[in-house]
Amino acid sequence: MSEFSILVVDDEEEFVTTLVQRLRKRGWAGEGVLSGGAAIARIAARDFSVVLLDMRLPDMDGGQVLQEIKKIRPASRVVILTGHASASEGEEGIRNGAFDYLLKPVEFETLLEKLQAAKDCSQ
Amino acid sequence: MFSAHSGNILCSPSPPFFLRCLPFPSSVMLDAMSHFLDRLTSFFHGKPRLTPAELQAAFRGHYKEFRALLTANNNALELMAEMEQALGPGHPFGMTFVRGNCTALSVNIYKMIQHLTRLADGRYAELDQPFRAITKQLEQVIASRSVSTEGATILSMAEVDAGSVDQVGEKMANLGEVRNRVGLRTPDGFVITASAARKFIEANALQVEINRRLKGLDLDNLEALYTVSAGIQSLISNAPLPAELEEAILAHHHQLDTDPQTELLVALRSSALGEDSSNVSFAGQYRTQLNVSREFVGQAYKEIVAGKYKSQAIVYRQQRGYRNQDVQMCVGCLRMVDGAISGVMYSRAPDDPRSPFVIIQAAPGLASTVVDGSGATELFRVSRTAPHPILHRQAAQEIADSRLSLTDTQAAELAAIGVRLEDHFGTPQDIEWSIDRSGLLYILQSRPLGHSASGEGQDNSISGHRVPQIRERGLPAIHQVCGQADDKGDAVPCDRLPLLAGGVCASQGVGCGPVFTVRSSLDLLRFPKGAVLVIETPYPDWASLLNRAVAVVSETGQMAAHLATVAREFGIPAIFGLNQALATLENGSLITVDATAGKVYAGKIESLLALAAPRPNLMTGSPVYKILTQALVHITPLNLTDPTSPFFRADGCRTMHDLTRFCHEKAVVEMFTFGERYGFDDKAAKQLVVENSPAQWWVIDLDDGFTPDFNPESRYVHLGHITSVPMQAIWQGMMAFPWAGPPPVSLGGLGSIIFQSTRNPSLDPAVRSAMTAKNYFLISRNFCNLSVRLGYHFALVEANLGEFLTENYVSFQFKGGAADENRRLLRIRLIREILSAFGFRVEQKVDAMTARIEKKPGPYLLERLRILGYLLIHTRQIDMVMADEGMAATYREKIMADLHTLLDTPTEG
Repeated sequence: MSEFSILVVDDEEEFVTTLVQRLRKRGWAGEGVLSGGAAIARIAARDFSVVLLDMRLPDMDGGQVLQEIKKIRPASRVVILTGHASASEGEEGIRNGAFDYLLKPVEFETLLEKLQAAKDCSQ
Repeated sequence: MFSAHSGNILCSPSPPFFLRCLPFPSSVMLDAMSHFLDRLTSFFHGKPRLTPAELQAAFRGHYKEFRALLTANNNALELMAEMEQALGPGHPFGMTFVRGNCTALSVNIYKMIQHLTRLADGRYAELDQPFRAITKQLEQVIASRSVSTEGATILSMAEVDAGSVDQVGEKMANLGEVRNRVGLRTPDGFVITASAARKFIEANALQVEINRRLKGLDLDNLEALYTVSAGIQSLISNAPLPAELEEAILAHHHQLDTDPQTELLVALRSSALGEDSSNVSFAGQYRTQLNVSREFVGQAYKEIVAGKYKSQAIVYRQQRGYRNQDVQMCVGCLRMVDGAISGVMYSRAPDDPRSPFVIIQAAPGLASTVVDGSGATELFRVSRTAPHPILHRQAAQEIADSRLSLTDTQAAELAAIGVRLEDHFGTPQDIEWSIDRSGLLYILQSRPLGHSASGEGQDNSISGHRVPQIRERGLPAIHQVCGQADDKGDAVPCDRLPLLAGGVCASQGVGCGPVFTVRSSLDLLRFPKGAVLVIETPYPDWASLLNRAVAVVSETGQMAAHLATVAREFGIPAIFGLNQALATLENGSLITVDATAGKVYAGKIESLLALAAPRPNLMTGSPVYKILTQALVHITPLNLTDPTSPFFRADGCRTMHDLTRFCHEKAVVEMFTFGERYGFDDKAAKQLVVENSPAQWWVIDLDDGFTPDFNPESRYVHLGHITSVPMQAIWQGMMAFPWAGPPPVSLGGLGSIIFQSTRNPSLDPAVRSAMTAKNYFLISRNFCNLSVRLGYHFALVEANLGEFLTENYVSFQFKGGAADENRRLLRIRLIREILSAFGFRVEQKVDAMTARIEKKPGPYLLERLRILGYLLIHTRQIDMVMADEGMAATYREKIMADLHTLLDTPTEG
């Protein structure tokens, strides 16, 4: 993995676009997809250091996407970022290998801290 | 008759809103009763003579009305008590509570009027007038709206001062004042006003949807809270800005962009309208975004507006009594200061408004590390007097780089500014500042030093000596910094060894609960109510847990952190900067946190908890609190205190309480006079056969109060024929101890009795009515209403012991006396103290007193009835000898001893 890169998976297009732009502005390479299927396809095609994963996606359940990602790329760090707060869903996510569980809306600076933590951890 | 007058209120053209959609069930039984009575009265012309069976049936019908009226009366009093209690500490409430209780109250009083008019054969319909007038006034209070904001959507910082507060919020108004009136350096920028936020929300028609999502939200359900909060914020963040507003923002942003060499970065700071007012800090509740570049300004603005619905802000508003419409989000857009060193300054020590020094906390970089609770800081105490020497300096170990430390000159400059700002605003200030890399000092914020931090309005005395609100420990020298070296704060020594000691007292007090460590959002969702929040860093985000936590322990952070401010406001004890907290405190283990002393103990330490100050009332002064207070003006004051007064009339009812009092009084009278009206006369009341009683007792059976073998023709009734459980209990109390007879009266006492009697006609035996001369028990098996005039005082005991706990109550009213006011008051106080000790809720108005207990099991209430019975007999006329406190104490001792004997004695039915 030459570059630390981030994949944002969320069905809210404006959120994805803005977040990817903001990340780039602060020196983090990233791209976004709007569905679970697209996320899995993209991850199969290339490796991402961190996946920011929404739990409510139009085509798939976030938990399923998480499991698929971990199958394809066991080393990638998946950070759940959801607007639908659920302790049980969060616990299941962590059990299934999620790196962290964040609630929307997350402060951008806090998100950067989490990404930094994920980066530090993967090095 | 009945049908005609009962429609009087229901059929009026426009019923008050309380009554719309509230069908009042018409009872089949009542209709039957009304026909029956119609027949009787028309048949007999005037005073009908009924057969005993008919009389009893009529009586039962009236009694049902009477009972229903009592139930409504009981409900109404309970609702009023609940509303009054809500004004005390520890009862956060919203508009739903106020609206719901007012509606329920109106419904119950409406029912009382209905029952009374039926009971009185159509009289008292004129109560409709005051009832309507009062409900209309209540409606107006409840419907009051916040002032809407009109004006420019953007104001340059050059135009802003304290007078702009309604457009720019308090934070920016203060900053404008600092810049334009005090003349200090603040970052250049502009404010996007309240009117802009309103236009943005209106342009997207969001408010209805937001209100819909918030309606019925259970704040105790953290998952729901976070989900709804996230949904609303996303709704706002994704809505497009009106083009005009976006252009205006970018145009003002462009004017700031004066240096083509470097990209302009701004900070967007929330400045809520309503924030920082009434000693409400809203500390860290809303968003601030730093280092925002041009392309994200619009988005960042929307996110800050959306931040009004952050979960902790929703909880905070609810706890403090703010409605959503009471808060408008204004946003300051300020050029970023390239901070080399930044921090917070208090113009006085937070616990001593007369301290001769300012306190400065400094850290390298941006001020946010100080108020976020993250990062180590340097602490200074600097003299308020020029040339402002540094009196004390406490360096954090982490700040090894001396170049990043505050110089003496800078500290002096800051202190001078602190004094100047305090002089300007007229009150000690809490100031955020930053020094940029070229050495220029900027003021980022100045606001009054928090009231809870200064101890104002709170009782600081524990065990008789003053305990300072804020104290820092752990670092020995800090005592000197805060001027508290002589007071360790250990108000009560605890013989156990603490698990942990040290840190900083971020919010004083004592709390006990199981440890719950929160490291992540997931932990946050699982946080149980009543636990001790244990964290590594006091992030402002954890504030949404402060209405659930009993105490906070954090490994890092200090008293300037936002979370500390909110903890102080909420009265939640908090220790920050307590090393090893996470490693030492095990999840689930019970601990006692003594934040005042900076110690954490294993288990529950009652001696320390006993010292815990009551929680402050968070809602005082808030809009919802004000609405409830205004509503109560039309509800609780009692103007109709004296039934014998000529002003005790329907048109004299000015409050809901007056209506209940009037209806209740008249209902009792109607029950009494029923017999007279229907030829019941003396036969209805049976004299109780008793020996050695100081008075005559008459009993009226309302339903099933006598045993079946009782001969209804008899003029006398023996105790053995009485099935009324509450009456028997009262009687047992009355007869448990022989009455000592009237106490010897001193000459002075006698003189004042005579004087009082001549002055107060209601005390003159000559004007007593036939109704009050005898003492009446109105009874059924489970019900008893006793009115007593013994000596010169009047008392009413009423009890109902039903099938359901909610129906159960004992109430006691007591008024009058023969002696002068001072003696009467001494006696009332004595009775009040005794009743309070036995769990009665007592209200006293001059020399009238009411005491109530509701919703308790039968055996408990029967004990209380025995107590009342005892008091009825044994406290009469003691006002005449209640010359002083010493006498009162003697009586109290004897009475309490008797009562304990009485309650321990097995009673005989």
